[in-house]
Parts: sequence; structure tokens; C-alpha cells
Amino acid sequence: MNIIELDDVWKVYKMGEIEVPALKGMSLKVAPGEFLALMGPSGSGKSTAMNMIGCLDIPTRGSVFLAGQDIATLTELELSRIRGKKIGFVFQSHNLYPTLTALENVQLPMRVHEFIEADIWDKSEELLQLVGLSDRADHYPSQMSGGQSQRVAIARALSTNPLLLLADEPTGNLDTEAGKEILDIFSQLNAQGVTVVMITHDEKIAGRANKIVRMIDGTLAS
Amino acid sequence: MRLLDIFLLSISHVKKSRMRSWLTIVGVIIGVASVVAIISIGQGMQENVQQRLGGFGADIITVIPGYFRATGVHSEMHTDRSVSTSSSINLTDKDIKVIKQVPGIMYVNGLVSGKADLKYDNEKTVVSVTGVDTSVWKLMDNTGLDDGRYLQPGDSNSIVVGYNLAYGAFLQPITLNRPITIGGKNFRVVGILKQSGGLGGGSDTGIYMPAEVAREVITEKMANNQFTSMVIKASDASLVEYIKADIEQKLMSSRQVNPRTKDFTVIASALIREQMSGVTQTLSLFLSAIAAVSLLVGAIGIANTMFMSVMERTRQIGLLKAIGTSEQEIMKLFLIESGIFGLVGGIIGVIFGVAISLLIPYLGIQALGFGGDMKATITAGTIFFAIGFSVVVGILSGIIPARHAAKMRPVDAIRYDQ
Ligand SMILES: Nc1ncnc2c1ncn2[C@@H]1O[C@H](COP(=O)(O)OP(=O)(O)OP(=O)(O)O)[C@@H](O)[C@H]1O
Ligand SMILES: [Mg+2]
Repeated sequence: MNIIELDDVWKVYKMGEIEVPALKGMSLKVAPGEFLALMGPSGSGKSTAMNMIGCLDIPTRGSVFLAGQDIATLTELELSRIRGKKIGFVFQSHNLYPTLTALENVQLPMRVHEFIEADIWDKSEELLQLVGLSDRADHYPSQMSGGQSQRVAIARALSTNPLLLLADEPTGNLDTEAGKEILDIFSQLNAQGVTVVMITHDEKIAGRANKIVRMIDGTLAS
Repeated sequence: MRLLDIFLLSISHVKKSRMRSWLTIVGVIIGVASVVAIISIGQGMQENVQQRLGGFGADIITVIPGYFRATGVHSEMHTDRSVSTSSSINLTDKDIKVIKQVPGIMYVNGLVSGKADLKYDNEKTVVSVTGVDTSVWKLMDNTGLDDGRYLQPGDSNSIVVGYNLAYGAFLQPITLNRPITIGGKNFRVVGILKQSGGLGGGSDTGIYMPAEVAREVITEKMANNQFTSMVIKASDASLVEYIKADIEQKLMSSRQVNPRTKDFTVIASALIREQMSGVTQTLSLFLSAIAAVSLLVGAIGIANTMFMSVMERTRQIGLLKAIGTSEQEIMKLFLIESGIFGLVGGIIGVIFGVAISLLIPYLGIQALGFGGDMKATITAGTIFFAIGFSVVVGILSGIIPARHAAKMRPVDAIRYDQ
């Protein structure tokens, strides 16, 4: 079963009188174990597609299936809970909760989903170690570099054992060196079986994925 | 999300924006402190008035000549004691006899009040003199003695002096056995009253002497059997209403007047007390309303801060929503935060309010015309009310901002400021 399936998805933004179609009948399947890069020029609809893949927004037309379930059949609360648990998000910037430490940030999704306290601590420490930031556990986001923040964000995205790690321009704000570290972590996770969908407009970065999908003007380029 | 975790997340917000949190809380502190202080002062004032009026006693009935008629434009008050007439509007020993026959009465004291010239230690002044029935006065007086004794039957040139007159009116304080000339007659001080500070007829600045003697020294002319008022003590305070009605009835028939031509007034002080406490209650309610306005300002401060937080935290809200936090949990997150402002502001505000209330007596502010020092009464009820009210105000001020936050869509929240 596919983790995510978009079937002829349209997204039309209404700006007063004007309608802006950002997605025009996009179809996409993400199978377990994939490391998929979604590419395309600016304004082609990548972020809009990511909102669909991440179930953060509902399509104007067409269907989105999360682990085989049509999300249109779910209530807002159900969708929110399932999304939070099955999809781990890494955004381009401002990923972390500024009033919480690195460790607390990693724990946050587990607290939202009411994990057992002992598991919360074990898992969060284990994940910080995985991204190489055990020594920064008590640091606040303002006390960390952009690359470190992104690594904490990855650790947090993994904390609920999601089916999918979804990243929108995760290296967009980083220099080449820090960006490479992030991509190494993605590759390593994918090797361990984590499904990754990464959005980027950089060919070199997309090259790290084992499948590349290109978007032009709201649909996939064939 | 567990409530404890939501709570800790709220705390992390409060702690991170410490300066703004404190400024918000200061607004609440000012509001709560003024509410507590004003309620305490209001209650103190009420107790003060009750105490002062206690000097009258709930079991005391007073009869004065004249009757106030509010018959349209033709209202008149016949209590003109300074005009020396022995006209029909007078109380006499005949009235005392009539009153004594009313069942339920313990004592009747016929008073002769007026002004007299006083000479003491080369100083001259005019004082108010009250002539009393020496056989019942000491049984009815509520003021108490500071020094010496009450008047007793057989006294003729003895006087008892009010506290303020004795200690405050002359260069040389009046003490026991000092000679004083009143209305050209020589007297000896046998007693000094305690300070009453009360509304009870100015006993603090008066001079008390036997009624027969008072008629001779006061400037007003009085017939031998004439009184300016009568003070009656009932055997039981609960009977005052009936006794009052009974006295009115008997006096009307003995004085051969009807309700229209009535020429005397019977006053029960219990009723005055009720009216007075009504007045002070209204006054403290009014003051509390003013204090509530300052609390409202605090509430607006909280609401403002919460709105700012919600705006600033749009991204965090989006993040929380993306990872699965429900609308309800986000509501709680913000309501707990505004509730904390209310709670902390409430507790500190109560401390300040109590401190202000405790300082009031030391400031020595004279209560509004009631005499005596101002005092504040702090009750546990006031404290719990203030803190509880403040928390409720905090939560209420957070509701609109919190709803605003909860209703945000995750996509919009994440896009924001990207
Ligand atoms: N909330 C919105 N309201 C209106 N129009 C929108 C909204 N979001 C996106 N769009 C429009 O939809 C189109 C696709 O936008 P999107 O953000 O998905 O592009 P993108 O491929 O992510 O671009 P970039 O590489 O610059 O991030 C654009 O024309 C954009 O202006
Ligand atoms: Mg984009």
C-alpha cells in the first residue's frame, strides 16, 4: 500500500475575484522506503503539493489518500491526529519551538500524542544522539546554528515513528557543508527504511534521492 | 496532549517573554490591589459606623418636640429650641409620667439641652450643656467614664465633662475637681467621659449636669417642668417598634393632638442605624465599582498581550497543529497563560491591597465626617474573591485571542512570515 497517494489533485487559491490554480490535476504515489525528490522552478506549486502530501490542506478537487484512507472522510480532529503521528515535518526555517530546549522540542510531538513518559525520554535522547546533538540538549533554538536547528527538527520529525518524513527545502537556509550533513542524515535514515519526500529546486540536492519527480506549472512533467 | 504538558508549555511562554509578562501582571496587580483596599476600607467604614451608632443603642428611643410635616410646600419643623418660649411645643414632666406608663420601658431620661457661657482658667467659651436625670443617666450612658464618677442624685454643683472638651479645648486640660464657672455659677468636675467619637449627640464636647441646674445656667429660658428631649431605654431591643408606636399613641392622647396636629417626634435609633448602614453599603458598592474599572484596565492589558502573543506565535501554532495538536488544546494553552497572569497578578495584588489596607489606620485619615480614625477590615472572603475574580478575568480576557489561535489553519500558520 502506498503511504501517500494524490489522485488528480487540484488546488485553486482565490484572491478576491482572481482564481490562482496552483495545482492542476496532480497525481503522485509515494511507496514505502522511497527517497523522493520533488523538483520544479519557483512558483510551480511545490509547496502547495507538499501541503497536500502532508495533509495540511485539503484539495479543491481530487483525492488524497494517507495510508490508503481518503482524508476527505476524516474530521478535522481525526486528520490532525493521524497527520501528526504518521507524517514528520521538516520546514525550511523556524522549525523549532523557541521557548523549548532542543530536547524538549524533540519530545513535543510525543507529548502531543501522549506517549508514555519513560518512552518520551528514551526516544528523545536516542534521536538527539542520532543527529549528533546530544551535547546541545539543553540549548534553546536561539542558541543553535541553522544546521543544528534543522537536525533537531529532523529528530523531532522522527519522534513519533512516522511513515513519512516530509521536508520542504530543508537545506534552503544552509550553506553547502551544513546542507550536506542534513542530506547525509536523510540518506542514512532512508537506508534504515524511512520513507523521505524532499522538496527542492537544487539539482545537486535532488541527486541524493533515489527518485526525482519534476513539476511544471502545477502538474508533473512527463 | 496531557494538561500538565500544556501547562508546562504555557509556563515556557510566560518565562521566555518575562518582561512583557511582568508588565501585563503589573496591570492586574494595580487593579486587584485597589479592589482589595477599597473593599476592606468599605467594610471598615461600615463597621465604624455600626460601632459609632452602637452608642445610640438599638434599644434607645428619643422623643423631641416638634414634628416634621412634608405637606407639599407647607413643610415646617418645630424644633426651635433657641427661641425661649414656653409655648405649646414643649415636653414637660407630665409627658415623662405618660411615657413611664408605657409597658416595656426601663428608664426615661428627661434632658435639658442648651448653650451656656463657660469660664475656665481665664479662658471663656460657649459650650453645650446637657441636663440629665441623675438617677437614670449612669444606667443609660454607653460612653463610659475616663476618670471620676457619674452624676448621682443629690449633686447640685457637680458636672461631668466630655473627653475632647476636657483634654483638647483649653490650654490647661480639665481634670477632676477643677473649678469651672458656667452661666455664672461655680461647678466642680466629678467625672470625665471616654471619647465616643460618635454621632451620639456630641458627648465628646459637652458638659453634663443635673437637669434642674441646667435650666438655670443655659441661655435659653426654660420652665421648671420643661425638657428639650427625652431618651427612653426599652427593656428589649426587639420591642422598640411597638414601644415607639405605643408612646406616640399615648402622647397624642395626653397632649390632645391628632396625627395632623402632632407636635412631637419619636425616633428609634435602630431605624437610623439601618438607614446608615444602607448608605455606607451603597458607598462601598460605588467605590468597588470604581476599583473594578481599574481591574478592567488590567483585563484589557491581558487581552492585548495575548493578542500580541498569538500574532507572534503564528508559526508555533502552525507547528503545533501540523504535529497534531487539537483546537481545544491550543485554546487551553493560551487560556492557561492568561489565567496565570490573572492568578499571579491576583496573588501579588492581594498582598499589596492588604498592605495598603493595613497602612490606612497609620495614615490617620479621618473617616468621612464620622469622626474617629479610618480603618480597614480584611476578610478571607475578600481575599479569595479577589484572587478568584482575577483568575476569571484573566481567562476571560484570553478567550478571544485563544479562539483566534485555535481557529488558525495549519497551512496559513506555516506560510506566515516565511
Ligand atoms: N495562499 C495562497 N494564496 C494565493 N496564491 C497562492 C497561495 N499559495 C501559493 N499561491 C500561488 O500558487 C502558486 C504555487 O505556489 P507555491 O508556493 O506552491 O510554489 P513553489 O513551487 O513552492 O515556489 P517556491 O519555489 O518559490 O517556493 C504560485 O503562483 C503562488 O503565487
Ligand atoms: Mg515553496
